[in-house]
Amino acid sequence: MTHLDYGLRSAPTGFRKVLHISWPLVVLLSAIACVGFLMLYSVAGGRIEVWAEPQIKRFAAGMAAMLMIAMVPIWFWRNLSALAYALSLALLIAVEFFGDVGMGAQRWLELGPLRLQPSEVMKIALIMALAAYYDWLDLARTSRLIWVAVPAALILVPTALVLSQPDLGTALMLVMGGGLVMFAAGVSLWYFGSVLALGVAAVAAVLQSRGTSWQLLRDYQYRRIDVFLDPASDPLGAGYNITQAQIALGSGGWAGRGFMQGTQSRLNFLPEKHTDFIFTTLAEEFGFVGGASLLALYVLVIAFCIHSALSNKDRFAALLTLGVAATFFLYFAVNMGMVMGLLPVVGVPLPLVSYGGTAMMILLMAFGLVQSAHVHRPR
Amino acid sequence: MIRTPLRPLARVLSARERGENPDTIERENRRQRREAVSDAARGRAEIRLLLLGAAFVAGFATIGVRMAALAVSQPIEPQIASSGDAILASRADILDRNGRVLATNLLTHSLYAQPQEMIDPARVARELVVIFPDLDAARLTADFTGSRKFIWIRKKISPVQMQAVHDIGDPGLLFGPREMRLYPNGELAAHVLGGASFGREDVASAEVVGVAGVEKAFDGWLRDPANNGAPLRLTLDLTVQATLEEVLADGMKLMKAKAASAVLMHVGSGEIIAIASLPDFDPNARPVPPTTGEAGDSPLFNRAVQGVYELGSTFKVFAVAQALELGLVTPATMIDTRGPLVWGKYRINDFHDYGARLSVTDVIVQSSNIGAARIAMLIGAERQRAFMDALGFLSPTPVELAEAPGARPLLPPNWSELSTMTIAYGHGLSASPLHLATAYATLANGGHRVTPTLVLGAARPVGEAVISPANSEAMMSMLRQVVTRGTASFAEVPGYAVGGKTGTADKPKPGGGYYDEKVLATFAAVFPAHAPEYVLVLSLDEPVEDSGSVDRRTAGWTAVPVGAELIRRAAPLLGLRPTYAPVAGPGLSLARN
Repeated sequence: MTHLDYGLRSAPTGFRKVLHISWPLVVLLSAIACVGFLMLYSVAGGRIEVWAEPQIKRFAAGMAAMLMIAMVPIWFWRNLSALAYALSLALLIAVEFFGDVGMGAQRWLELGPLRLQPSEVMKIALIMALAAYYDWLDLARTSRLIWVAVPAALILVPTALVLSQPDLGTALMLVMGGGLVMFAAGVSLWYFGSVLALGVAAVAAVLQSRGTSWQLLRDYQYRRIDVFLDPASDPLGAGYNITQAQIALGSGGWAGRGFMQGTQSRLNFLPEKHTDFIFTTLAEEFGFVGGASLLALYVLVIAFCIHSALSNKDRFAALLTLGVAATFFLYFAVNMGMVMGLLPVVGVPLPLVSYGGTAMMILLMAFGLVQSAHVHRPR
Repeated sequence: MIRTPLRPLARVLSARERGENPDTIERENRRQRREAVSDAARGRAEIRLLLLGAAFVAGFATIGVRMAALAVSQPIEPQIASSGDAILASRADILDRNGRVLATNLLTHSLYAQPQEMIDPARVARELVVIFPDLDAARLTADFTGSRKFIWIRKKISPVQMQAVHDIGDPGLLFGPREMRLYPNGELAAHVLGGASFGREDVASAEVVGVAGVEKAFDGWLRDPANNGAPLRLTLDLTVQATLEEVLADGMKLMKAKAASAVLMHVGSGEIIAIASLPDFDPNARPVPPTTGEAGDSPLFNRAVQGVYELGSTFKVFAVAQALELGLVTPATMIDTRGPLVWGKYRINDFHDYGARLSVTDVIVQSSNIGAARIAMLIGAERQRAFMDALGFLSPTPVELAEAPGARPLLPPNWSELSTMTIAYGHGLSASPLHLATAYATLANGGHRVTPTLVLGAARPVGEAVISPANSEAMMSMLRQVVTRGTASFAEVPGYAVGGKTGTADKPKPGGGYYDEKVLATFAAVFPAHAPEYVLVLSLDEPVEDSGSVDRRTAGWTAVPVGAELIRRAAPLLGLRPTYAPVAGPGLSLARN
């Protein structure tokens, strides 16, 4: 199916597109970002200039970018998919050689005034590439081995590059995000089943090999697994973050201690309190009510995306929308799960709330694509 | 182009008949087929989308439930499990006989550092030195920036210091609660109490252990939780103790003595009412034992209990008492005191020449060495040794002090005739002032052996009889006469009928022989002599009374006046009423003109 098949005349043109942008989604994203501003203000001890102000500026820029992207027809973006993927891959390779080392990993690339995390860009570029691939691919071939190998390679090449940085969290998100797009595109369940079985077998092998001569991981990696399984085993060492985070959540209770009244984050018990662990501040100051409200906002965003994808007859648009939704879901699910001790600690920010430039800009641009798909859907 | 079954010939032909373009039909057919496939795909995609949605919902639910579970959980600070059993810090108080506090506990804090938590080690070191001037800033900085993870800074700090350290505000400085031993009376009864220090210690608490005195002797009892904090009550009377220490210190200063000791004991029970040794120390800040010099000169040394000295003429009463008890003499028996008494190559002299003969009473009153030696010759070595044993001179005093068992009297290597004679006037046998006080108490209380004690309420049976009550009375009469007309005339305290015996012992040189000008002046007193209640033994080390034209060193000029002043002040505190003999005037009365 090509864009020529669309009832093109049914799509809005010119400034009428503004009316067809999903404004509820814009409001939702702004609300989530505002929660982030409040938290950054609180974590900085009531100072706006430390983290909240740069974040607000970046959000404004990201919003503008989102609206501009939304005005451009979705087929234009589809035609750019391959280019975007190639460019992202080039950046990932570049970061391998020229990247800055931050927090013990090579993730940052200096491009003039921009400080870029190519792995974040790759998350969206991969979704675009996979959606375009399945839009191009004949439906009948979807589950053929050779045509499954191509998207698998599309996923695994950047994953390997990201793993070498090393950034386990982003690598996992690439695999899972890409896998979800493949799943939605209709690839046979046998593939997923065998990959899952292989994964389980690999985990079992890793755990079984511990202490034997053919041990698969280093000792410190096993210790990290131990700490994940029982953070209390090393409360002042590797389990420190997670224990303190859970104390913060517990001390928040149902209604929280009140805005600016959090102690865990305020008293510097938590490192990364303004980035990956910002949810603890929210949970401590606004309690379960606050945490659940933020979760509800995320749910509404995801619900909108799924609804939009279901009602969109264009394959690329639907897959893209779904892929962005999946990435967004993985962001906050992994982050919240990590903070609450459901998942091991991997460096994944809380989307639109955590302090950080690249992730927020990229996410807003991705939602620009979702808006574009929504505006230009065949009617 | 290959014809596919999509384009059956029959339909094409019929279409041609109707004049339609067969290509249109083919296009239409293709479109229909494509839409069918696409619809099937979309159907499958929608199912998958719904599956995905369900997975998302499951994810949301998991997170939500977990969030709720954490919200209702009680926040628990992680704690490192404490290793080993908790250190028991509570220690019972020590009280005097009237319930006044001699030793108690005070909660203070210790200060330690965890340098890896420290924000600005250099600033912390600088500010700590302001609070504790004896710390060294450079050394602290080196410690804080080194690899050590734990550093004790102070074991005990005051609340003011603690607040000051708190105000530094560095998270690397931490406090631990610490119970410390407090002696509210300072130096009072220092040697009895001894002192305490920290034993096993950790951050949370420290064990307080006694290091000397009753604190060490009763260490286990004081720390025993089974006592429920019941205090240890001593026989000391804080008021009398304070008086005794004050008078003793003044007397020591006045008589230019280098050291002094005194024991005040109840003659019946052996309870020690006051005991002191000067120089002393503050048990709150117990000095470290000296590594050089004579241990006996250290302030830590308890002269009254630990020190064994030749106590001189105070011993003469034992020879006389035994001779009376054995029926060898009566108080009126005349003794040959012509001197010198030559025994082998030794010569025994008297201080003065007392003439050819003295009564037994006068041997005591005038303090004749020759007379005492001759009485001892009547007794003999064996019997003297047995008598001294009965008085407690052959073994350490059983008083409840950690130091007491180590204070073993120095006995002659073989108890020869000569030893018998010298011991009769107090040389050749070294004992502590407490030994002497105990022996005097035995003579004074009617002859029952006394066991000295510091613990109140320790019931003791009446000791075995050493001399008869009649002889005890006779001895008291002699001691009273020493004061009324003998060597201790300065001891007369109106109303308290003091009896006593002086002793001026030349101090032995370390290499052998005796110093000429260094004496240990001792006054052993009993009061009131007609119904003895208390015995006082007071000795001054190297005193000199230099107010006259010649320096006087004998006990009568040095120890006796100090002892008299002490009795004058202490007797009312002990509840003794002065008794005055009716004044027999020279025949005058108000009735006469």
